[in-house]
Amino acid sequence: MRLLTLFSLFFFLFSTPLFADEATEVRAKTKSSIDKVIATLKNKSLKKEQKKKQILDIVNPIFDFSKMAKISLGKQHWTSFSQAQRKEFVSLFVTRLQESYLEKLDMYTDEEVLVDDARTSKGNRIEVKTRLVSKDDSKDMEYKFYKSKKQNKWLVYDVVIMGVSVVQTYRSQFTGVLKKESVDGLLKRLRQSGQFNVPAGVK
Amino acid sequence: MKKLVTSLLTLSLLLFATPLIFAWSTNDQGTLNSPDSIKVDIKSPSIDDQTPVASPYLLAQAGGVVVGGYGDDDFDEDLEGEFAETDSTKSDPFSGYNSFMTDFNDGVYTYALDPVARGYRWVLPESPRRGVVNFFKNIWYPIRFVNNLLQGKLGNATEETGRFLLNSTIGIFGFWDPAKEWFDLEEHPEDFGQTLGLWGVGAGPHIVLPFLGPSNLRDSFALAPDYFIDPITYVRPVALSWGLVIYESVNDTSLHIGEYENLKADALELYPFLRDAYEQNRIKKIQE
Repeated sequence: MRLLTLFSLFFFLFSTPLFADEATEVRAKTKSSIDKVIATLKNKSLKKEQKKKQILDIVNPIFDFSKMAKISLGKQHWTSFSQAQRKEFVSLFVTRLQESYLEKLDMYTDEEVLVDDARTSKGNRIEVKTRLVSKDDSKDMEYKFYKSKKQNKWLVYDVVIMGVSVVQTYRSQFTGVLKKESVDGLLKRLRQSGQFNVPAGVK
Repeated sequence: MKKLVTSLLTLSLLLFATPLIFAWSTNDQGTLNSPDSIKVDIKSPSIDDQTPVASPYLLAQAGGVVVGGYGDDDFDEDLEGEFAETDSTKSDPFSGYNSFMTDFNDGVYTYALDPVARGYRWVLPESPRRGVVNFFKNIWYPIRFVNNLLQGKLGNATEETGRFLLNSTIGIFGFWDPAKEWFDLEEHPEDFGQTLGLWGVGAGPHIVLPFLGPSNLRDSFALAPDYFIDPITYVRPVALSWGLVIYESVNDTSLHIGEYENLKADALELYPFLRDAYEQNRIKKIQE
């Protein structure tokens, strides 16, 4: 019994700072990625397509887009999809997420991004809070990381913008569509609605 | 006073009775609006159903997107457990009416508010438009003050009062915000819906209000007390009062052109998307 107490004390003492270090590391990585994205956005010598490619190169290594696709669909639906449907779903959805992200960046004008703190939750999750501060308001954006065993690194599995979780919002939409339509119907919608054509961010 | 009560009654009837009437007439199946007619087609309907997968996808896929693991063996249930049931459509008794009203509001935005705001933006430079935003924010100080008090946020209420005094005087009727720029006094937006939420009142079913957009039962009822505290309510003639409300929303829209379209592009279906975004955002605001 005493050994157990000693052991848990030991564990407590050593595990917390270890995680705190990891949280600091993830926070630093997030900050440097955001800084790089903003530098790319501000770089006037790049063409739009070049900017997009550079930004995806910065973002891809820290985002687990395919994981986001899976949890957005939900295990129940995922298992009912055929292999081919899964493959198409993931690739359509990932493209959609990326396009949507890039379009959001198009709205970028003069905002400053502040990276607040990183919090460890449940031992194997890290949340990095950021704020998008412009002249008249400030928007909270939270990046949620999990530790991928396969890749042995921390990856983003959800982004929460002003309390609105991207994954959660897609989850109910997918369920709603699949209630009324077939899997192919959903895929067709994803194919069609992935094209973004939004005016640029001029105030 | 009598006139005010009458207009308020009319307004509340409009706001609260219409959803109920619609809900009655639509039943569960939404017989009033057949599901096909209320479906929101976000992307231009001109895209032919037979059109093969558009090239941007192929390009992006060729661009080195890492997509792996199609087997369900690596499905991380632990991660999924963090998200709510996917079946959020269960408790949405007004969904038929709500989809209809979402389309209506979308039309109002696209064909009235947005073009007007664009024209207005073209005429007036950004800084005076920001001044107008500040002016209205300052006018609405009583709403924030009362709700901060009701939520027991005395510090915030005091800070709001400091802002009001500074901005009304040296901020020249609130057009400028020296309280924030010089004194670091922050704004603390709160409304009665958030107050009720903090007191433990549940959101109730989602209701989309005409012109005002997404809301729920609690937040709809909460409009009435805020309406009473709002100084603009007491502006006479009534037409001027309404004019101010409409002008404010045009001015505000002019500073956020394209944002709604950008948000909309994320939706597979507009109504459930806006509903979920609204409810999640409210939960966060109440927690703050």
